[in-house]
Amino acid sequence: MKNPYYPIDTLVEDVITETPTIKTFCLAPSQPIKFKAGQFMQLTVPGCGEAPFTPSSSPSVSEKMEITILKTGKVTDALHALKPGAEVGLRGPFGKGYPMDKMEGKEVLVVGGGVGLAPLRSLIYALLENPKKYKRISIKYGARMPEELCFARMYDQWSKAAPNVDFSVTLDVPAPNWTGHVGLVTTLLDGLDLNLENSIAVSCGPEIMLKFVTLKLLEVGYKPPQIYLSMNRKMSCGMGKCGRCNVGHYYLCVDGPDMCYDKIKHVPNVFG
Amino acid sequence: MHFIDSTNFERFLKKLSVDGELYVPVRDGETGKLHMERIELFPLPDNFCIDGLRTVEPLKAFAQPLRCPVADYPSTEGDDMSDDKPFPSVVVAGARGCDLTAMQLVDKVQTEGEFTDPFYKIRRDRMIVIGADCSECGESCFCNLHGAKPWPEKGCDVAVARIQGGYVAEAQSERGEKLIEENKDLFVDARDQQVKMRDEIRAKVVHELEENNKAYPKTAGLSEIVRDALGDGIWDDISARCVECGACTNICPTCYCFLLFDQKAGGSHFQRMFSWDSCQVTGYARMAAMANPRARLTDRVKHRYYHKYDYLPLSHGAVYCTGCGRCIDSCSASIDMRDALRKVKERSGGKKKA
Repeated sequence: MKNPYYPIDTLVEDVITETPTIKTFCLAPSQPIKFKAGQFMQLTVPGCGEAPFTPSSSPSVSEKMEITILKTGKVTDALHALKPGAEVGLRGPFGKGYPMDKMEGKEVLVVGGGVGLAPLRSLIYALLENPKKYKRISIKYGARMPEELCFARMYDQWSKAAPNVDFSVTLDVPAPNWTGHVGLVTTLLDGLDLNLENSIAVSCGPEIMLKFVTLKLLEVGYKPPQIYLSMNRKMSCGMGKCGRCNVGHYYLCVDGPDMCYDKIKHVPNVFG
Repeated sequence: MHFIDSTNFERFLKKLSVDGELYVPVRDGETGKLHMERIELFPLPDNFCIDGLRTVEPLKAFAQPLRCPVADYPSTEGDDMSDDKPFPSVVVAGARGCDLTAMQLVDKVQTEGEFTDPFYKIRRDRMIVIGADCSECGESCFCNLHGAKPWPEKGCDVAVARIQGGYVAEAQSERGEKLIEENKDLFVDARDQQVKMRDEIRAKVVHELEENNKAYPKTAGLSEIVRDALGDGIWDDISARCVECGACTNICPTCYCFLLFDQKAGGSHFQRMFSWDSCQVTGYARMAAMANPRARLTDRVKHRYYHKYDYLPLSHGAVYCTGCGRCIDSCSASIDMRDALRKVKERSGGKKKA
């Protein structure tokens, strides 16, 4: 029998500073880890603790893994202090991941906010691997200010990836030298030129953003079964045993963390 | 059906104790309550008591200890668990119907589905459980409201019912049949009169339960009522007195929630610990940057009812309460689950009329 609480030894090969508060950790686990876009890992900083993160790298690569992390608590503070060469631990993958099969032949709308682009990047890698499988891939991203833009080096690449792919970005408030769109990410959803009936929307970001993105998507004509949200709850075991990550009767660690809005729309305080 | 006299029953327990740690209920002289006590030397203590009612401690504690290490890191064995010596066999005598049902409910969570908790599974597989009839109804007992009986219906290896001079006994598992077979010199066939004595005690306790709980609603259909009351202000009233001690969840035989945490063990070594956790305390669902979907006490109290009466029936097919009443006994604010559910039901009835 295997001990599911024992993490896989993992080397931190590189640390990329994305923004003043976001870093990408390039990891080399001692054994390959196969995961699907949207599935999450429990990352251990030895002696400090464990926290759940969704990889930001391509699910086609199982020898290496990248995880992009906002500095926001005990474990992430310790992570941000790590240098290349440090040892960490990984458990997982856990959860269902994004509904890739449901996206085929559809117009896929990807809406990200802040560090929420991290798990979506894994999805974007998966989508762009074979863009012809999808009718459209439309990526909308928002950050508060220029220095908080995550993965800025990749935007151009995404925009030009294929004729059916588009990428747009916005800042919440105007900034010097910023000539692009200004306004919350929801303003990028005004006047969407997608065939909504044949669309699936996927969103990840802070809960308050998820709330307003959901309201906006409903307003422009999406139906709850077409909306998938990356939900956040405290997680510990990752296996549906420890009880804490519920949204209604679902445990995010086994049923999510990306949940179809139709399944959770009745849950009070669903957005926290 | 078998009969085993008191002397032979003690011999039976003594034989079982050779292969595992033996725990039996003993009655506290001051409070009159039963507690599980480890027995290492025979004869059994004078306050050994296998009738009465359930012990203060829930049965789950034997399969899911309050706190235990689940991983030492780094370790040369890695995630290999083939060396499973740290798990002793345990013999628990005197488990009541409410605890046995609860144990089966926790089994569903910890051993079914995509993952199995190996720590739970190994401990559970090494547990021999002797079930026992209740001969009394406690003030807080309400198994009858769940349609359950105050005796082991299933879930133990051997079930015993105290009658004059000994016990009516029957096997409830293959292992139980084997245990009786291996010790058949200790058992005789039960006479009809002895089974009748057992049934009379059973009828008496059922009557006491019915009388004691006639003011409260049966739980059949209660899930729908609880579900409908989700946005109701009634939960503010129910939670008003709660002091967030977490006793109700810790002592509940079906509450299985736990937390993993790491503690330093020198250098880069750490030990990953498993610990019971309570959804009633504020840190339970709190995430990084203090985000908390149940920051309000009302939402936490409500969550306990919803988890038991709404979510788990949907995800695991059963109400996760067996009416043991321990949460009522242990509540320092005297919150009574039966009373809370009655209020929810009355409110719902009032709404429908209106």
